[in-house]
Amino acid sequence: MGYPHKPHPKETVVLSKSFGDPDARTYKGWAKRGGYEAWKQAQTMAPAAITEVVKESGLRGRGGAGFPTGLKWSFMPKEKKKPHYLCVNADESEPGTFKDREIMRWTPHALLEGTLIAMRAIQAEVGYIYIRGEFTEPYAIMEQALAEATKAGRLGDHKIHLHRGAGAYICGEETAMMNSIEGKRGNPRIKPPFPAAFGVFGMPTTINNVETLAAVPHILRQGAAWYKAMSLSNPKSTGTKLFSVCGHVRLPGNYEVTMGFPLKDLLHELCGGMRPGRTLKACIPGGSSVPILDREESESCLLDYEGCVEKGTMLGSGGVIVFDDSADMVYQIMRLARFYAHESCAQCTQCREGTAWTTKILERILAGQGKMADLDLLLDLSDNMTGKTICVLSDSCAAPVVSGIKKFRTEFEDYIAGRKQPVMVA
Amino acid sequence: MSAVATQEDAPVFTGKTLERLQQILTRYPTKQAALLPALWLVQEDRGWISDRNMAEVGEVLGLTPAYVKGVVTFYTMYHQHPVGSNFVQVCTTSPCNICGAEDVVKALLAHTGAKELGATSPDGKWTVIEVECLGACGFATPVLVNDEFVESVSPEKVPELVKRYK
Amino acid sequence: MPDELINLTIDDVPVSVPKGTLVIEAAKQAGVLVPHYCYHPGLPVAGVCRMCLVEVEKAPKLQIACATTVTEAMVVRTQSEQAKQGRMGVLELLLINHPLDCPICDQAGECELQDFVFQEGRPGTRYTEYSKRFNPVEDFGPDVLYVPNRCILCTRCVRFMEDVAGEPVINVSERGDRAYIGIHPNARLDHPWAGNVVDLCPVGSLLSKDFLHKARAWELDKTASICTGCSQGCNVTLDTRDNVVVRVRPRPNLEVNRYFICDHGRLNYRWMNRGDRIEAPLVRRHATDWDEALSRAATVLRGAGGKAVALVSPRASTEALFLARRLLARFEWTGAFQVVMGEEAPLAGVPNLALRAERAPNARGAELLGYSRDYAAALATSRTAAVVLVLDEPDAAIETAGTLLYLGTVLPERSHGAEVVLPIANVAEEDGTYVNRDGRVQRYFQAKPAPGMARPAWWVLSELLAQVDGGEHYASAAEAFNALAGATDAFHGLSYAGLGGAGQAVAAKAGVTA
Repeated sequence: MGYPHKPHPKETVVLSKSFGDPDARTYKGWAKRGGYEAWKQAQTMAPAAITEVVKESGLRGRGGAGFPTGLKWSFMPKEKKKPHYLCVNADESEPGTFKDREIMRWTPHALLEGTLIAMRAIQAEVGYIYIRGEFTEPYAIMEQALAEATKAGRLGDHKIHLHRGAGAYICGEETAMMNSIEGKRGNPRIKPPFPAAFGVFGMPTTINNVETLAAVPHILRQGAAWYKAMSLSNPKSTGTKLFSVCGHVRLPGNYEVTMGFPLKDLLHELCGGMRPGRTLKACIPGGSSVPILDREESESCLLDYEGCVEKGTMLGSGGVIVFDDSADMVYQIMRLARFYAHESCAQCTQCREGTAWTTKILERILAGQGKMADLDLLLDLSDNMTGKTICVLSDSCAAPVVSGIKKFRTEFEDYIAGRKQPVMVA
Repeated sequence: MSAVATQEDAPVFTGKTLERLQQILTRYPTKQAALLPALWLVQEDRGWISDRNMAEVGEVLGLTPAYVKGVVTFYTMYHQHPVGSNFVQVCTTSPCNICGAEDVVKALLAHTGAKELGATSPDGKWTVIEVECLGACGFATPVLVNDEFVESVSPEKVPELVKRYK
Repeated sequence: MPDELINLTIDDVPVSVPKGTLVIEAAKQAGVLVPHYCYHPGLPVAGVCRMCLVEVEKAPKLQIACATTVTEAMVVRTQSEQAKQGRMGVLELLLINHPLDCPICDQAGECELQDFVFQEGRPGTRYTEYSKRFNPVEDFGPDVLYVPNRCILCTRCVRFMEDVAGEPVINVSERGDRAYIGIHPNARLDHPWAGNVVDLCPVGSLLSKDFLHKARAWELDKTASICTGCSQGCNVTLDTRDNVVVRVRPRPNLEVNRYFICDHGRLNYRWMNRGDRIEAPLVRRHATDWDEALSRAATVLRGAGGKAVALVSPRASTEALFLARRLLARFEWTGAFQVVMGEEAPLAGVPNLALRAERAPNARGAELLGYSRDYAAALATSRTAAVVLVLDEPDAAIETAGTLLYLGTVLPERSHGAEVVLPIANVAEEDGTYVNRDGRVQRYFQAKPAPGMARPAWWVLSELLAQVDGGEHYASAAEAFNALAGATDAFHGLSYAGLGGAGQAVAAKAGVTA
């Protein structure tokens, strides 16, 4: 639902059903709401059968990559020769995204249930839920829920451990997360080898996002066909998605809609539209790492994986950042570049040096010392930073820069030409 | 000057803390994997992680001090020097930035007496820093005061917030 | 069973390599050096510098050659526009914080950043009007200085200490462009093999204090040699400047030391330059010429009979040891050597590689040629021997009723009673061979001229032999070695040509013949 607001009739409420209801956090409260029925069902199914259902449903990774979940599970060795692991990605750090936090705060048992089902499907005895260090409240709630579920005997032979992060966006990258769990610097790994072959502690591992796993119990209980049917535009994008809308809208919050839902309706209806006297200028639909859409593109974009690609962006994590006409695009793009420069792990040359240089150029433009050549330099730099590194943090820094210069070039030129007063000191 | 070891010098992993670490160690197949949790235990106990603490953690887990230091300096939530008793983290990444996060920072610096980012206030009670996305963008501006996550802070709400922690 | 071979094309050159080979290694076969920094055949692959970007047909993005395994019919292009742009981008980014230190940096002339920027970099930087990151120089330990400003974070040093030395005493600290190589304040980089990080560092970030500001890379002559520090027999390169040895570096040999040498070997070369050398032959302490000295020595040898003792240094060449024995063949012969012992220091990540307890390069060679380790017994025998021949053993405290012939590089007080003193060359001043503890015969080459009238020991002994026996006169160390190989089972079939630069093993059943 549009938590913290009242549910909007156009929402499709599945995952967010109990958002805002503290009773749903408790084991008893969750059981009352049909909790752990899906897990009971899964325990009567063969692992491969569970995977089939999830494959059939069309569920795709909700962390940002959109990789088909059932397919990912099927990469795990069928014959178990070594310990298998499941890692749950609760590192939610993509700017604009705040849905996993809500899932953990309000429906921790939904995550536990989905985790258990996934662990059975991939034959993992041990699962780690990697929660970012700043999520102190979700951590405490998950800890409590885990204790309750364990006491109620739900876990059986499975072990689920919470692993607290310590402030690193890059640990949301699946291979960096595995390194972080192993007690190392959160450096992404080169692939191959892939996690299903060589993952955490060198063992076959699957990493899934919180929202992805929260959907699994529903899929098992109500069937793959039910989930698949929820698709407004492209049959390859099914089910519901929690969109975290933030920035310049009247009612920011998490909204759950069916895949293919028009972005225009999300912004102007569900979120109550722009603030009084303001007009929509730009929107980033999938967290800061995807290209920025201008007003026209935003208002014609359908919110599913393919629809966003059609508009030259990506669905990503579904973190919708809205900029109205009061936003200084140049400043905000600089702030995003600075984010990536802070979060770079320092392995790859392009990312380590490029994110910092990009930030410096933008700061200089904002300080009134930019040159026209700086825009070409930024584009060239972004090109060097794209498609050449171990992970895509580097590409993610380039995305807002390239799309920003393309679609809001006049704002940059205004600073360079001195038509706009500097807002920073060199 | 007394030769007695100060509180700071005393080992962290004794008694209850050691018990907790031993419990944590059972979660992982390697000792190294307990490093991040161990560092959290140190910070919980001492408020920050000194070079000496790093050496102790290394010894307990069979890692070199340089290795531990490499990990501590990677993760921004570990403090490598003492901070004010109220450590305040304010998100100023774009989604919060366009909702006035920088004004919240200014208000906090003024009302806590910390004056500058990263500096500790004269009464030792406050340190304010800017951090990257805290994952509560719809509740701009979120602020972490030690372990307490406060949503929707605006400059107007700052005086009341500061008073609450005095 | 031979490895399955994969056929691919690199820059239009067809190559055939074993399955599992990395593209960067396969490229070497095509005569292509793919520019790289973090990759090193002796270290685990990191794939972080991104310098080795190449185009692989059918792959949507550029691939790093150091982490891409060859596949059948793969087509690799290292010189495509895209690949060159990618690499140029990396170089530009490496240079934005890297200071223009070349005029004061030791690495200049042997710097991989200089090399690749010159080859593929931009002519000028676009990083103008911004400050570069600055961190002060750090003293890491006994021989290593760290200059953070020049560091390109290739992490070769970190991987060496962690995976090869087994002591992760340095690690990357911080994130992003604030990153540097950190060491804990309590720790020092004093591992016995730590000096290798200086060689591994592609730029002038990790420097040897011993070599600091001593010489410019282009002033150095480089000669292949064998380390004399212990019996491991690591292959080294002696760097000389104006005929003075100024640096020792490892020379790759996959059978012996792979790519590394220990600090003991690395830093113990000053004795090769010592000035207190014997520079002229002496007869009864009077300086004279070779003709007279050799003639006197030969006369002594011809006239004497009974027992002869050879006290030799395990640092003497195999050729010299062989000829010394042959020279005394007519006598009741005892030959012995003593070895200084020290603490062993293995390199954990490489099998069968360590700083060995035996601190001498040719103990095995001496053994194979019939010399014994019972030095005390030999000393005792010396007292009543007719001839005592000392081969570069300055610690020999000899008491003898017979004649003392001393061949050495220096003349210690105790040997002043020698009848004849013949000055010889040290390891840096001659060609020769050593046999390491594993029975590997390895060549070393002359790096600088011997001082004064000093000559290689094999030459001196060969001349004596010719005068005493009226026979063989060797014109080169190679010829001496051939004689050795012909007369000794263990060395059967070996020759200088066959030994080359990498050496060969002695025969399995090593017997000894006169």
